[in-house]
Amino acid sequence: MISIENLTVRFGGVVALDHIGAEFSANVSGLIGPNGAGKTTTMNVISGFLDAHNGHVIVEGTDLVKLAPHKRVQWGLRRSFQKEQIANDLTVRENLMAITDHLRGARVEKRADLERAAEFAGVTGILGKMGRDLNTFERRLTDVARCVIGHPKMIMFDEPAGGLTPEETERLGDLILGIHDLTGAKVLVIDHDVELIERICAETLVLDFGKRVAFGPTSEVLRDPAVQAAYLGIDVEEEHA
Amino acid sequence: MRSTTNTIWAVLGLALILVLPAFAGGQWVKIFTSTTTFALAAAGAGFLYTRLGMVSLVQVGLMGVGGWVTLRLNHAFNFPFEINLMVAGAVTMFLGNLIALPALRMRGLYLALITLMFAAGLDIVFTAKQFPNGAEGFWGVGTTFAADMRRPVVAQSDAAYLRYTMVWLVIGFVLIELHRRMAPGRAWALIRKSEAAALASGVNVTLYKTWAFGLSGLLAGLGGGLLAGSLGLLDSATFRASESVMLFALVIVGGARFWYGAVIAAVLFRVVPGLLNNWGVDADLSLVIFGAALLHAVMTAPDGLAGQINGAIRTLIPSRKSDNKGAKA
Repeated sequence: MISIENLTVRFGGVVALDHIGAEFSANVSGLIGPNGAGKTTTMNVISGFLDAHNGHVIVEGTDLVKLAPHKRVQWGLRRSFQKEQIANDLTVRENLMAITDHLRGARVEKRADLERAAEFAGVTGILGKMGRDLNTFERRLTDVARCVIGHPKMIMFDEPAGGLTPEETERLGDLILGIHDLTGAKVLVIDHDVELIERICAETLVLDFGKRVAFGPTSEVLRDPAVQAAYLGIDVEEEHA
Repeated sequence: MRSTTNTIWAVLGLALILVLPAFAGGQWVKIFTSTTTFALAAAGAGFLYTRLGMVSLVQVGLMGVGGWVTLRLNHAFNFPFEINLMVAGAVTMFLGNLIALPALRMRGLYLALITLMFAAGLDIVFTAKQFPNGAEGFWGVGTTFAADMRRPVVAQSDAAYLRYTMVWLVIGFVLIELHRRMAPGRAWALIRKSEAAALASGVNVTLYKTWAFGLSGLLAGLGGGLLAGSLGLLDSATFRASESVMLFALVIVGGARFWYGAVIAAVLFRVVPGLLNNWGVDADLSLVIFGAALLHAVMTAPDGLAGQINGAIRTLIPSRKSDNKGAKA
């Protein structure tokens, strides 16, 4: 259970997130909304890159907001970025080790864990390849491996399907669906690709202008007139009238 | 490929350590010794630049601090040279950590400016207080004094001392390489990619940035201490802020991605002016040469001269496919 309570973020006078609340109980949940809705802000607050003015993010009894960013990773938080962050001058293996380096545990265990994560994401064959030589999809897969390594409890993907072909997106979707069985972690996915969200996310939170528009089972949420209004931009005049 | 090149370099390095001190005569032994000490500092600046993308313009200033501490301890106590050197390294490591504090908030040009200001501050202190030469008092500067600088037991002669300094340089390179291959190196690579990526991987960015500056400071301090041991007396003119800027520029010319880039940088820094002097040309001409070399590096050789040498070696020795990228240490 990922429980977001009353989450508020302000940049000066701009309210980027306005008292957001949601309780994700599904294994894979979605977070959607138009540009500037506050999706990435939400993710950055949960990661600890931004300070929340108010609110809590409680996962398995731990309030993440209170932890330093790198402590959140030790606790079991993983995330990917819109633009993947694979270090070019490290091999894929080293990129994965960069995460296990900062986790507790014996060396042998960490190695086995790394192999398992690589196997899962399908990057075992390219473990020795340098980051700079990877193509877009290989980078994404490495990102997935980075996320499932070291017994994560919560994983966030920020637009994982960006720049991928439909076939690659489908394979990525399958991978994300398999994460819970492998690690037991709860997954939160941000994407513009509504098809992907519909396929893999059981529950979805919709944001617009920093406010919660809808939350619930994905298929219901996507049928919600308010959500369609936010996405398609209809009814704007009526709302203002 | 990787191990072959590394073996070639190791053999070359060993040969140089054995041969160079034996054949270099008179003034050149001293010049090579100081070249080696500056290579230590250059290695520190270079690794900070390539591994973390941070510019430190205070390396030569920190060398001055290392030299000051070594001289101070030498004249105040009867410790062996190594102890003095270690303390000097520890002091500059700590100073490096201090400089890292603004580095936690600033990036790029702004950070470079902060380090430059630090160098300017040291410059002023060195000019005002000079370096201890055995006189009384904390600053230990007297007009007629010139107390003995004790050298390590194993390296009393100039030639032996050059060899001794070269061994320290090798230790410095090994230290950097070990860091690169282990957890700090990976953390630094992530920090260079982006701090967000590092944080999201559980890297304690504060710790690892401080650590990097500390290591870079340590190398500069060791270099300064070794230089003090070579000359016995130090002059504030050696450690001007402008020298730090020059050394950094030459690190770029030499090629910061490669360890021998630091050696090239130091050779340009110390040997070229010496050569010009030998030929009866004004040594300031070297500034013109360095300027042109820097332009060349920035425009056509992003990995510096070392990068070009590495490229040449790779065309000469047919590589076994993609593995040669690993040789870019």
